[in-house]
Amino acid sequence: MDATDERKRQFERLAAEIFEPLQRYLLRRAPRGEAEDVLSETLLVIWRRLESVPTSVPLPWCYGVARRTLSNHRRGATRRLRLVEKMSALPGDTADEVGVSGIEDPEMLSAFEMLAEDDQELFRLWAWEQLEPREIAEVLETTPNAVSLRLKRAKQKLAEELLRQKAVSAGHMTDKHAQEM
Amino acid sequence: MDDKELRSRVQKLDPMSSGVETRSVMDESSRQMLEAIMEQPVSGVSGDSGRRMQWFLAAAAVVAVAFGSFAIFGGAPAGPPLQLSLGDSNAISSCIPVSAEFLKDMPVAFEGTATAVDGGLVTLDVGEWFAGGDAATVELIAQSGMQALIGGIDFEVGTTYLVSATEGTVNFCGFSDVASPELRAIYDEAFPG
Repeated sequence: MDATDERKRQFERLAAEIFEPLQRYLLRRAPRGEAEDVLSETLLVIWRRLESVPTSVPLPWCYGVARRTLSNHRRGATRRLRLVEKMSALPGDTADEVGVSGIEDPEMLSAFEMLAEDDQELFRLWAWEQLEPREIAEVLETTPNAVSLRLKRAKQKLAEELLRQKAVSAGHMTDKHAQEM
Repeated sequence: MDDKELRSRVQKLDPMSSGVETRSVMDESSRQMLEAIMEQPVSGVSGDSGRRMQWFLAAAAVVAVAFGSFAIFGGAPAGPPLQLSLGDSNAISSCIPVSAEFLKDMPVAFEGTATAVDGGLVTLDVGEWFAGGDAATVELIAQSGMQALIGGIDFEVGTTYLVSATEGTVNFCGFSDVASPELRAIYDEAFPG
């Protein structure tokens, strides 16, 4: 087997491990059409940088490539193109639409949506991709300590938002009760 | 609420938990994608680099001619570095085969060696202009800070690249890449003399 064949085998083994998690990562953050484009671009970068992929736990590194590729893709696309994509997407074609319709915890959803985008992304990586701070650090190209600190603060903010949401809900209930009286 | 409960509640917000379909790596379309990717050159351009890869949208980047010595479009007068963002009329929005015939119409083409790679900014010292400029230095700017992974090109200091651009946007998909003898031959054919 020559070096090219060995490289292909290595890439195929890696693809079997990362292909579906990368799809989920992208579908959580982009419409399906865009996710497909970015998936192929991400895999191309990974193919070309195969020597740089960590062998033991490759996924966080690959998420990092997907993150940068998606960011680059978005900035390159026009707002009009994105609108066309959104408008042409079939119901349920994007993860967002399906997810919102399936929400069972409106208080948490409201609190989550009040967070800054950076904090939301930390929570996505932590709870959706199920990454630990050292792995999140690899995705975001920062240090595990910085991630731990940011995550701690984000949790505090989320807890505060949850309390606020509860207070709002309680207020509504009180209003409703008063009206019924 | 402890960490475990918090994580569980946030996890339930995950839209993917609602049964959004993903493709298996074993699906025919997935296999075709992976096969096409593995046909792409790892470094430089190989003989089959012109293989059509419709999946790849050209990545967003901006060409800026540094030091204001020359603006690459329309003979604009000397001034600060020119930065043009990618529009929706990107010249190669999906990949077509690399060919001299297509390349010869590119308004900007040069050979340059990377002297600095800093986040999303790659600085190239121009060795030769084929078309569209006479600046000594060109900056390639990834709009998102792509850590020098612009359009799948892995820029490294000291490596020489052949780059073409249209309307301020670098062409990817093999049209701009490491200056391999094969790609150099295509550039020489496209820009004789």
